Amino acid sequence: MISVKNLQFSYTKAAFIEDVSFEVTPGEIFGFLGPSGAGKSTLQKILTGLLTDYSGNVTVNGEEAKTRKNSFYENIGVDFEFPSLYEKLTAYENLKFFASLYKKQRDIPTLLTSVGLINDADKKVSDYSKGMKSRLNFIKALLHDPALLFLDEPTSGLDPSNSRVMKDLILSEKKAGKTIILTTHNMFDATELCDRVAFIVDGKIRALDTPHHLIMSKGASKIVYTYIENGKECSAEISMSQTSGDKHLMQLIQNNQLLSIHSGEPTLNDIFVELTGRQLQ
Amino acid sequence: MRTKALFLGDVRFQIKYGFYYIYLFFSILYIGILFALPPQWRLTAAILMIFSDPAAMGLYFMGAIVLFEKSERVLNSVAISPVKPYEYVLSKLLSIGFISTIVAIAIGVASDVITKPFFFITGVFLCSCLFSAIGLIFACRISSLNQFVIATIPAELIINVPAIAWLFGYQKSWLLFHPGISLIELLRGSSSALPALIILIVWTLFFAVLAEGIVKKMLRSVGGVKL
Repeated sequence: MISVKNLQFSYTKAAFIEDVSFEVTPGEIFGFLGPSGAGKSTLQKILTGLLTDYSGNVTVNGEEAKTRKNSFYENIGVDFEFPSLYEKLTAYENLKFFASLYKKQRDIPTLLTSVGLINDADKKVSDYSKGMKSRLNFIKALLHDPALLFLDEPTSGLDPSNSRVMKDLILSEKKAGKTIILTTHNMFDATELCDRVAFIVDGKIRALDTPHHLIMSKGASKIVYTYIENGKECSAEISMSQTSGDKHLMQLIQNNQLLSIHSGEPTLNDIFVELTGRQLQ
Repeated sequence: MRTKALFLGDVRFQIKYGFYYIYLFFSILYIGILFALPPQWRLTAAILMIFSDPAAMGLYFMGAIVLFEKSERVLNSVAISPVKPYEYVLSKLLSIGFISTIVAIAIGVASDVITKPFFFITGVFLCSCLFSAIGLIFACRISSLNQFVIATIPAELIINVPAIAWLFGYQKSWLLFHPGISLIELLRGSSSALPALIILIVWTLFFAVLAEGIVKKMLRSVGGVKL
């Protein structure tokens, strides 16, 4: 679906994107994680054919991005972080207009129903809440049924309930066979949604793997337990792999002296900080 | 056809955002003023009104339209769609040209100043497209209405001053190459209407092609995702 080989790009004489290579397979959700200014935006502009003066190879849907024709856009959809809609037009009018720019068009009422907006279809976008605008913006990217979707911070600024709705929509599109490129600062979204993630810092990919592999390869799961000793509450921490070797823990279990016991894994953010020395958020 | 879809979208946008009400208001106002003037002034006054308003409206409206599209980030979606820059330019010029021509015809018919309808209609339409293209060129490069108003002052002076001078008697033959003066001659249906039409076509094409290049640059710069 996407193949990037030895990509180099710069705005000035200094390299901005350096020797980036990766592949995205059909049906995959691939996440770009990185702090602001890391190069995610530039990378996305290159993948969507807006920046064309790069060196290396960038093939998207079988077409080299720098020599793309306008029909290139018939098969990609972009959901921007902020709504890109005519505020004084209704939701239906917006979708009808944007759909008219493409050859292939999905049924608008069906799309509106899928995100719970069918009853608000004739309402002006300016009267929509933030969550409604996000859902409308999302289905706008699906109007022409593209095989490849670029989602930019899809849950940014949404309350937990709307965020859940958005994540379910993304997962349902994956189920329908879409390939999705997700750009986010949110490690929890990335962990939940992405099949693979790339950590981008200073224009380079510092790590690329499944969230599970990244977490497991760099940080061992740990157990933290608490108990009473000499009238005081104490706590201890051991690696999960060393549980059976911890005689003190075994003794506390046998004597029913444990106050609490918790297991924990490092988050993707911890791994990001460990690998890159930078914070995601 | 995508240009048709864009054109219809632009017309809907202009109606929803109240542009057509402004046109209607000024049409009624101008026709009222023309009827209040002595009949011997009517032709000159009508030409001045058509030149300075329906024909020139694209210059101002284009700033408002593109600024709305920028502020609502709609251009981001246009940039990653199959829309070609020339289609975007064409739909903008045609949509403004369409309503400008209707308003000019209304003023012209009401004041009974149309002597050669073909030259009158094509003149207004082309001049509207020309002004819209110039407005588009400025609008692509600015981010606020204040900037737009200031940026367009030199263009307004260059376009308006020679044309008004011509209208009031300063008529050197070389000034016929000025697009505003070409329009005046077309509105009058004078003997130099045909060369004036050719001159106006050349100017309109020149600025439309220039606008296309600038729109292309603008769409590339706005279309990326800002993180």
